[in-house]
Amino acid sequence: MISTSSNLRPTPTDAFPTLTSLAQSETEAVLQEHIPISSNAPPPTLEKRAHMQFLVRNLIQGFPGRYTSQDASQPWLLFWTLQSFSTLQVGLDPGNKQRAIEKILSWQHPDGGFGGGPGQAAHLLPTYASVCALAIVGGPGPKGGWDQIDREKMYKFFMSLKQKDGSFLVSKHSEVDVRGIYCLLVAATLLDLLTPELVEGTAEFIASCQTYEGGFASSSQPYFSAGDAPTLLKWPRPSLGEAHGGYTYCSLASWVMLQPFNNNGAYTPKEDKPSINIPNLVRWAAQMQGNEIELGGFKGRTNKLVDGCYSWWCGGTFPLLEALGVQAHTGIPLDHKPEVQDSLEDLWDDVDEVLYDREALQQYLLYAGQHPTGGLRDKPPKNADAYHTLYCLSGLSSAQHHVVPSAARQAEIIAHWKSDTRPDVNEDLRKEIYLNVMSWTEDETNVCILGGSTNRVNATHPITNLTITHTEGIMAHFYGQALPPRQRPPPPK
Amino acid sequence: MSQNTGEQILLFSDKREWADVVPLEQYEGDPVAPIFYSETYKDATDYFRGIVKAGEKSQRVLELTESIIRQNPAHYTAWQYRYETLLAINGPLDTELLLMDELAIKYLKTYQVWHHRKLLVTLSGKPKPELDFITVALSGDDQKNYHTWSYRQWLLSYFNNEEDLWSGELDFVEKMLTKDVRNNSAWHHRFFVVWASGVRSGEQDRERVLRRESIYVKQNISLAPNNPAAWNYLRGMLDHVKVPYSAVSDFVKLYTVPFDPSRPDLVDLENPPPSQEAQLPCVQAVEFLADVYEREGGKENIEKAVELLKKLATEYEKIRKK
Repeated sequence: MISTSSNLRPTPTDAFPTLTSLAQSETEAVLQEHIPISSNAPPPTLEKRAHMQFLVRNLIQGFPGRYTSQDASQPWLLFWTLQSFSTLQVGLDPGNKQRAIEKILSWQHPDGGFGGGPGQAAHLLPTYASVCALAIVGGPGPKGGWDQIDREKMYKFFMSLKQKDGSFLVSKHSEVDVRGIYCLLVAATLLDLLTPELVEGTAEFIASCQTYEGGFASSSQPYFSAGDAPTLLKWPRPSLGEAHGGYTYCSLASWVMLQPFNNNGAYTPKEDKPSINIPNLVRWAAQMQGNEIELGGFKGRTNKLVDGCYSWWCGGTFPLLEALGVQAHTGIPLDHKPEVQDSLEDLWDDVDEVLYDREALQQYLLYAGQHPTGGLRDKPPKNADAYHTLYCLSGLSSAQHHVVPSAARQAEIIAHWKSDTRPDVNEDLRKEIYLNVMSWTEDETNVCILGGSTNRVNATHPITNLTITHTEGIMAHFYGQALPPRQRPPPPK
Repeated sequence: MSQNTGEQILLFSDKREWADVVPLEQYEGDPVAPIFYSETYKDATDYFRGIVKAGEKSQRVLELTESIIRQNPAHYTAWQYRYETLLAINGPLDTELLLMDELAIKYLKTYQVWHHRKLLVTLSGKPKPELDFITVALSGDDQKNYHTWSYRQWLLSYFNNEEDLWSGELDFVEKMLTKDVRNNSAWHHRFFVVWASGVRSGEQDRERVLRRESIYVKQNISLAPNNPAAWNYLRGMLDHVKVPYSAVSDFVKLYTVPFDPSRPDLVDLENPPPSQEAQLPCVQAVEFLADVYEREGGKENIEKAVELLKKLATEYEKIRKK
């Protein structure tokens, strides 16, 4: 369904204006200027050329001085740029690839992990960005970057940040938050570093960050029992901060990456298994999608404004929820479903088809998210920047494509699995960690591209935010596996 | 030490007292995606790399790291090194906190300014003045700053002092909600104080607390019914104490139908009615009622729930299905 600017219902203010409702009304007025006036307007276009120019300028010429504020996020600037290229179906030439690999390796810290720039302290966030950037441009061999990652030291660096409540500092003397945990888990998963020792208590920590609204907060506060041997109390363990899109994506993706530990006997007895409230999470995530007057963009918190980057942070939670068994039509996970007879089941059937409106989100991104001179943005009239360019494109990708764990793909990978002969390796667990990421496949029968196939972008892996090809390439390398070929459906005639 | 005076800024390379330090340029290699740094930033970070390499921790490191932080408050390595230097030279915490008062307001959205405060207050062990500082920080344009709210919540639970810290929180959060009843950060803080952090002194009678909170949130819904933050608080509270949603059906129903001008104007604390200006029916109320029916179960109730949700989808909110 395409919005037009007539007949849109502004968010009700109940004749009781506050700072929140004033900011909301202002934003709605601005957005309204970006909605086509008539329903006969041509479909919106993804201005790929302009975005490419924006990205090439940043990569080749460099970033203007205002990006000094991101001098401690150099790996991010590069990752956002490279992954934006990948999403736009563009690869780098060998010369630029090699330059990028050398630059990324200059961020590796002598004691393990990657820092925000050469000589900067190691930090979990740039470690994710560096490893993912290497997944895009790197490869095996002496100059490829992958084998130059010091995995042993990285593991020690991770362990040095571990806290008693299962969380991790993002860096020495620094804060705890779930972004860091997500970044650690992606790096550890891709590089075959994930162990029960590393993630002991981490799933419980993630669960404790879920708020009463259903989304997740940045962190939680542990309480310990009094006495000589304080132990972590199950309650109280309050979340610090309200439910937030960025933290919710990071928490949920972490939760999904930790599933192999949940299934593999790490938690016995069963009542000690940590759990999250999935119906509340589904409700919250769906609530974050704005109304028609907001063009279907996502906001990051209750009563805040829509912002293009939440297209990924909030929109990107839905495929993860599906992986946890949430049914698309009721939002209720399979094992939580109340006992109802078939006739009641049918009653639900005509209520909803999907968890969120994929087409409306694309409208927001195409009409409001694109800066006229290239790059994507939070909302008009803001400037484009490297961060928003990637997360708007990732959100667009997630709205266009339906990427799900596939049982068929899983069976292929299992059939090709090469066992590890090292005596101290938990083979089942390692295999499950691998499958947990590698089984995701695009469901090509369920593509939804607003504006037609010229607007198509590449599919993105819901856990890593890399393309599926890049995710598979680096993982197969580090797990010593050969990649079984994909069974492609015959092209349409 | 302050550099924002508009005077010609002296580079570290021009200063005689820094002549003994060997500045270290950032490795650029064959550059891809470089940042165009200003001369002053490049100069300060070159000297910083030199200092870190030499391992020097001295008074002048505070000057150098302050210069970097003022140009890029997200430079976490400069913050880390500054903290280690403060510890090494046993630097005065009160002076440092005064500087942080300025920097926190200036760079409200930076993780590091709040985390550095946290480290300092952990060392000083004096959390009480912090509450007033936060109140000021939250009184400006940014009343929803994530770092500021979570810092306040950390202070309360980490130091966990009933008299000095927790006792004023309900008043504080009420003031914030009076300023903006739609501020979800404040609603979350209320939940944090009342429900999520154990039982406060004087709040042992949970029935009474539930009654108080119930009246409070309903009153606030009646002021501005189309406010998901307040409805989420109501849901969260009922979930927390495991009271079924149907317990508030009478209240909710007032908001699922158009305004009734013939309704007698009675004061009913349990079920405060919407104001005349309220835009009804209110989406959150309709959704709430559908949930009441769904949870009660049975064919008839499910039908009612489905009917409400269909109405919701077609009339009020085309995008957001349940």
